[in-house]
Amino acid sequence: MASAKETYRAELRSAARQLGERCLYSAAKWAAELLVGVEPDAAPAPSAAMDSPSSSSAASGGRLLHLHRSGGSSFRHRPRPGAGSSSEVGTPLGGVSYVSTPIPDDDAFDTGGDKYLLAKTYFDCREYRRAAHVLQNQGGRKAVFLRCYALYMAGEKRKEEEMIELEGSLGKSNAINQELVALERELSTYKRTGSIDSFGLYLYGIVLRDKGCEGLARTILVESVNSYPWNWSAWSELQSLCTSSDILNNLNLKNHWMKDFFLANAYLELKMHEESLKRYERLMGVFRCSGYIQAQIATVQYNMRDLDEAEMIFEELLRTDPFRVDSMDIYSNLLYAKESMTALSFLAHRVFLTDKYRAESCCIMANYYSLKGQHEKSVLYFRRALKLNRKYLSAWTLMGHEYVELKNTPAAIDAYRRAVDINPRDYRAWYGLGQIYEMMGMPFYALYYFQKSSYLQPNDARLWIAMAQCYESDPLQMIEEAIKCYERAANSNDTEGIALHQLAKLHGMLGQSDEAAFYYKKDLERMEVEERQGQNFVEALLFLAKHYKSIGRFEEAEHYCTRLLDYTGPEKETAKSILQGLKRARSGFPSMDIDQFTRCGRRFLMNKACGQCSPDRRRKEKNSSEGCAPLETSVSMSPVGYFPSFLHSVMLSVCILAIRLHIAGADDLVRMMLASSCWSVATKRTRRLHGAKMSVTGMIQIPNSNSGATMHIAFLQGSESPTV
Amino acid sequence: MNVFAGVGGGAAATEAGTAGGGPVLLELTPHKIALCQLVHVFAPPAQAGDGPGLPFPFESVAHHNRLGLFLFTLTRSCEDFLEPPLEELLRQLKAVDDLANDWLCGQLTSNLTELTSPDDLFNFFDKLRGVLAAPEGAGEDDVYLDPNSQLGVFLRCCILAFNSMSFEGVCHILANLVSYCNAADASYDLAEDEDYDTEMSNLMDVDIGARAGIFDKYNQGYAAESHIGESSSALTHAPMSLHDFDDANALKTDDGPTCLRSRWQLEAYLNQQADVLEKDPSSVPLNSFNATMTQLQTLAPELHRVQFLQYLNALCHDDYVASLDNLHRYFDYSAGMQGLFTRSASPSQDIVVGKYESALLCLGNLHCYFGHPKKALEAFVEAVRVSQMNNDDSCLAYILGAISNLLSKIGMSNTVEIIGSPYSLGTNIGLGTPLSIQQQLLVLLKRSLKRADILKLPSLLSFDHLSLAKFDLKHVQRPLVSFGPNASTKLKTCPADVCKNLRLSSRVLTDFGTDVLSTSNDNGSFSTSWLRNLSAASNSWCSSSTKSRKLQKNDFDNFYYHAQPSPIPAPVLQLAGSTYLLRATAWEHYGSAPMVRMNALVYATSFADAASQSDLSLAYVKLIQQQAVFKGYSAAFCALKLAEKKFPSSTSSHIQLLRMQLLHERALHRGHLKVAQQICDEFGVLSSSVCGVDIELKTEASLRCARTLLAAKQFSQAAAVANSLYSTCYKYNMQVENASVLLLLAEIHKKSDNAVLGLPYALASQSFCKAFNLDLLEASATLTLAELWLALGPSHARRAVSLVYQSLPMILGHGGLELRARAHIVLAKCHLFDPNFLVSKDPYAVLDPLTQATEDLHVLEYHEMAAEAYYLKAMAYNHLGRLDEREEAATSFKEHITALEKPLNEEDSLSY
Repeated sequence: MASAKETYRAELRSAARQLGERCLYSAAKWAAELLVGVEPDAAPAPSAAMDSPSSSSAASGGRLLHLHRSGGSSFRHRPRPGAGSSSEVGTPLGGVSYVSTPIPDDDAFDTGGDKYLLAKTYFDCREYRRAAHVLQNQGGRKAVFLRCYALYMAGEKRKEEEMIELEGSLGKSNAINQELVALERELSTYKRTGSIDSFGLYLYGIVLRDKGCEGLARTILVESVNSYPWNWSAWSELQSLCTSSDILNNLNLKNHWMKDFFLANAYLELKMHEESLKRYERLMGVFRCSGYIQAQIATVQYNMRDLDEAEMIFEELLRTDPFRVDSMDIYSNLLYAKESMTALSFLAHRVFLTDKYRAESCCIMANYYSLKGQHEKSVLYFRRALKLNRKYLSAWTLMGHEYVELKNTPAAIDAYRRAVDINPRDYRAWYGLGQIYEMMGMPFYALYYFQKSSYLQPNDARLWIAMAQCYESDPLQMIEEAIKCYERAANSNDTEGIALHQLAKLHGMLGQSDEAAFYYKKDLERMEVEERQGQNFVEALLFLAKHYKSIGRFEEAEHYCTRLLDYTGPEKETAKSILQGLKRARSGFPSMDIDQFTRCGRRFLMNKACGQCSPDRRRKEKNSSEGCAPLETSVSMSPVGYFPSFLHSVMLSVCILAIRLHIAGADDLVRMMLASSCWSVATKRTRRLHGAKMSVTGMIQIPNSNSGATMHIAFLQGSESPTV
Repeated sequence: MNVFAGVGGGAAATEAGTAGGGPVLLELTPHKIALCQLVHVFAPPAQAGDGPGLPFPFESVAHHNRLGLFLFTLTRSCEDFLEPPLEELLRQLKAVDDLANDWLCGQLTSNLTELTSPDDLFNFFDKLRGVLAAPEGAGEDDVYLDPNSQLGVFLRCCILAFNSMSFEGVCHILANLVSYCNAADASYDLAEDEDYDTEMSNLMDVDIGARAGIFDKYNQGYAAESHIGESSSALTHAPMSLHDFDDANALKTDDGPTCLRSRWQLEAYLNQQADVLEKDPSSVPLNSFNATMTQLQTLAPELHRVQFLQYLNALCHDDYVASLDNLHRYFDYSAGMQGLFTRSASPSQDIVVGKYESALLCLGNLHCYFGHPKKALEAFVEAVRVSQMNNDDSCLAYILGAISNLLSKIGMSNTVEIIGSPYSLGTNIGLGTPLSIQQQLLVLLKRSLKRADILKLPSLLSFDHLSLAKFDLKHVQRPLVSFGPNASTKLKTCPADVCKNLRLSSRVLTDFGTDVLSTSNDNGSFSTSWLRNLSAASNSWCSSSTKSRKLQKNDFDNFYYHAQPSPIPAPVLQLAGSTYLLRATAWEHYGSAPMVRMNALVYATSFADAASQSDLSLAYVKLIQQQAVFKGYSAAFCALKLAEKKFPSSTSSHIQLLRMQLLHERALHRGHLKVAQQICDEFGVLSSSVCGVDIELKTEASLRCARTLLAAKQFSQAAAVANSLYSTCYKYNMQVENASVLLLLAEIHKKSDNAVLGLPYALASQSFCKAFNLDLLEASATLTLAELWLALGPSHARRAVSLVYQSLPMILGHGGLELRARAHIVLAKCHLFDPNFLVSKDPYAVLDPLTQATEDLHVLEYHEMAAEAYYLKAMAYNHLGRLDEREEAATSFKEHITALEKPLNEEDSLSY
């Protein structure tokens, strides 16, 4: 084991040096980071370049123990590869199943070494053309590579400049690297004659990719990584060219341990989170202290909505590596979803001081402002991030969210659309598009986008619920389709329980009371498990009580009625009357009419007295007590007494005012009052999409007189104001 | 689709043309500098010493004007989105005139290559300013360039663009100039992969093309048709090489900065492409067109119309997913934003694109096109709601038009309650009683008409009139409120209404001149065709093709007739044309053969260049059908062969259907029942399986099925099929079809010797025909009625003969061969059956019609009826005692009977 690690170290050490000599800085950085990340041996070899202070290793060890305790089963029963790990076929780490690639010896001191030195210094000072000029007529692969690379970099630099200079009337962005043609010609000649090394192949690969020959680029890059696997830049270029799992699986890759890094990353990008996590955890066995792997694991966990876990890892990462900016944008997203303002501000401050002109830093600051509710500033920073990196996918999507907040629909659509065009698999942007169109009152049009997003993320209940709500919406009224979607949602782990409740309600509306009862019961069970109570709970109890009464299963009905008695409000009275009816029915008392008459009369009086119930509600209850399906237009709202105490006073007063107005029949006033906040439903749903948990504690529905749409006022946990 | 395409797609396509008015935003490119150089030569700055006269290289005023025209054209043309390379420009210049070309070309290239430093450029533009400065003694001389002329404005724009340019921009121009001048020799071969890709996409297209039978067409290219006598080598170098990807011009992106034309020219180019797509989608290969568009998009990412074109392209090639994708993408990018469409001349024009309700409108049309009526209706209903919300009246009018189009095109039974939603119909009508689909349709149409009238949307107005005419043709207009004693209901269609609507519809032609549509007139296509002719001519001249003698005169100012752009925009022409097509159809219903022929001919000759492929093929179909009915099958099949050459049958469903119809008819007549059955089955397969879609095709299929069964003497089955067909027609309110189904039922009963049962059907059919003014069909029904009376016994012969006489004028005037023969036979039969009639007294009253009938039937190869005619003839001769002739008729009778009973080589029936 130790020797295997030693090999890794040796390989990485020389790789970092070789990559650095060829000015492939980021790959060199990656290799060096990984080198330090190899788990320290019990007795470190004297030659180890690792000067890791004992404190940091101890800290990381401690954290890992911590991870062991809380961090999911995968960590726990990961087999510790002992000395005999070679016997394990499945775990390639440290096993013989890897193809050992000999470390190529450097032709560092070939002819013209001095010139090379000069060129490299020029390169380091970013004088690319000068560097290339120095190396003209120099043989040797290294010199050729550096010359070509310098030319490429010079072209890139010029391209960037041109991109700013050339702002044509049509937004022309055809600034291209002028050196590509010449480079491609030269490199292809080298390739044909065979006088090209793996670095040259890497360069050839990116040149081809820039020219748009992706297929060829992929083959060339595969060739490059097969001959020199330690060049992480080549791997990541290759990864960016693998846009589908089919392409990934058809790559002809040598089985080197670097391939595991590649595959894990590729799986992450392709949203195959479980596979990715598995690989990373296996890699953790050797590269225990690697920040890169930890960050990747945290990213996976964030994507899997395992927020707490991910946060812990990020915190740890930040402690050991305080000036890290890489993948801190993910951390900021996470903090945003968790709404931890202070942590986010702390993070933003830190990256600002470290390097403020990085796309990630700008994204973090934008997230901070967004959480603060200052959306204009947020957009400003997202714009800056996008200026720094036009292909920064998540910034486009998040900027779309901000535009939604700013009620700038066209800009939001544009931002989302750009995200989708950069990566058509970004389900969040599709969802955002659908959401906007839904808000614009075009549910049928929105369906297309929701369909797209749920196609990409078929196991996400939130997307199915959004689609179902579209189908359910007033203009469409496609209840069957809505039921299908809710069923999908209920089957794919709907944590908020919206689907079950809606299923029950819709089935009730269609008069399929058996199905409705089934779902109400399920919903009830779920709420019991989660120890959540609220309007839905009462509604379920009431429906079940009535249902069982109507089909003559009086015992169950009585059971539910008695449970209802624990609650205050009109339902309690209904339950009482049902109980009385039950008693009478059991004793064979026939007169249902009188019973109903008295009940209605009493309730009417009661409503008059307490003034908490709208006429609509009465109608609904009457309907359902007569065995009809409850009407969709009915208003369900929780009386004030039900609100959990954590609602702070401002919100409470807004709620009370809304409810009062609603009861007084002044729905128009409610609408006016809440008109300004009518967009925050988007916020809530967007946040939900990013993993924040919230739950509906109550809801008012107001039929909109003009458009016929229903306005929903939902009272959400953890929200500052009621949302419509 | 096509009638409406004029409203939906077409209007969208004409949109950008309205944004004309010269280059607004001009980007300085080497090509433009070259043009400036030429303008400088054309109109050198006035010098004090120079007297009035021609500048140096020109010899005559015509010579001078030719260059001016050329320059004018270059600034207006829109044949491609890229500017032509220098080589191309020089070639065209040479073509303009060969006298001074060497001098001009040399001058141009040397001047361009001399521009090597920023300072040179500054001096150059300084010099140009002199061109514009009005000379002191500006008198009658034509050398003076008016600053407000096209060239003057162009020059001013260039100078302005240069003056507002940063130093970086100047450097770019210099770099581009170098590559522009060297483009000719820098023939760098593309990367292998690239080649492979484009080859692949070409190959794929070719595959599709070969399958669709348009391979030849593709090879000739779209341009080929417009230039007679153009050699193929000329074509590959023609600037218009739309889909020629081997052409290095198209893929110069790798070589260096490509220069786009001005925004206006790009939009005009896109319009042109949209027109091509609408007119003849099969001529546009799917993949390479998409490749072109993608390339254009990378060059001009802000030009979102490209996506709309991609949507159209996918739509035309029946690619559901791609079209849906592109549609959404286009509206995501463009809708709501004021990018392209706000610059249109009139405010009422931007209703079609640029708003979300139009997205829904397009989505609805898409679903309608792909045959998803429910989804289409959902989209439309939502569109109505959104446009009401946004107070977008014009869009609402269009949506109403689209809904009525959907309702009329896709059969919807009354049981389907889809537009019960209050949004589409409002609440002020109906009085609580549910309206039938037809009534709803009528209400929608009238509303759309009213709105279009108020909002001055001429094309929609015309379209609505057309739809109303269509409605009036096939439906009785019942009053919406029909109760009370005074509610008089006239249960007849009104041909006058149809006529009125048709006339009103074609008024769009006269209206457009004074209206908004005229602004979209100048879109550069004139210049484009001029240039195209130029290059065609020059090429054939260079290659000294023997064919193009006419062109050798180098007479470029003479345009070909078909190359001249029509002064009327294509959508208007299309709408106007479709009135003629509808007129033909109307006369088909009313039963006037000459009028059908005339209208179809008018359409095919006058509106062919604006008509879409499918509309044009429809006109041909009508003509060929007439041919078949009046001239027999051989003539019809001859014509069909010609038509198939013009419209490959695999791409034109009309032609394909016609072929099957003709084959089926002929097989039935010849008695080749197996073949007939086979064709019937094919008919059934063609129609979509979705309920309500392709309803006409389905009706026709079962009608033909019933007739085949009838011919096979399986009466009960035939009656069953006809009955179910009747109920379907009833369900979908297809009254006109009902008349023919009833007639068929009467036929079935007649053939099964059940004349009493047949009578009510015949009578019902007759009254249907009367109600819908189907005169010819009515005559046919009367004939059947006469036959039925005859079948009841000789005592009814007198009644029958009066019926025949009653229908004879119509039949002899407008009836086809078969109908006439039938009438003749029935007439003869009546006489023969009549106990009071003696053959010997008036033999020609019987013999003449029979001879006429046998002649007609011979052309039709209708064995069964021919046998009957010969039989009657033989009987008549027998009565007359003319034995030789009797024997002759008997032999003919036998021939036909054997041919009918033992059909030889049935497979022949499938070939023609």
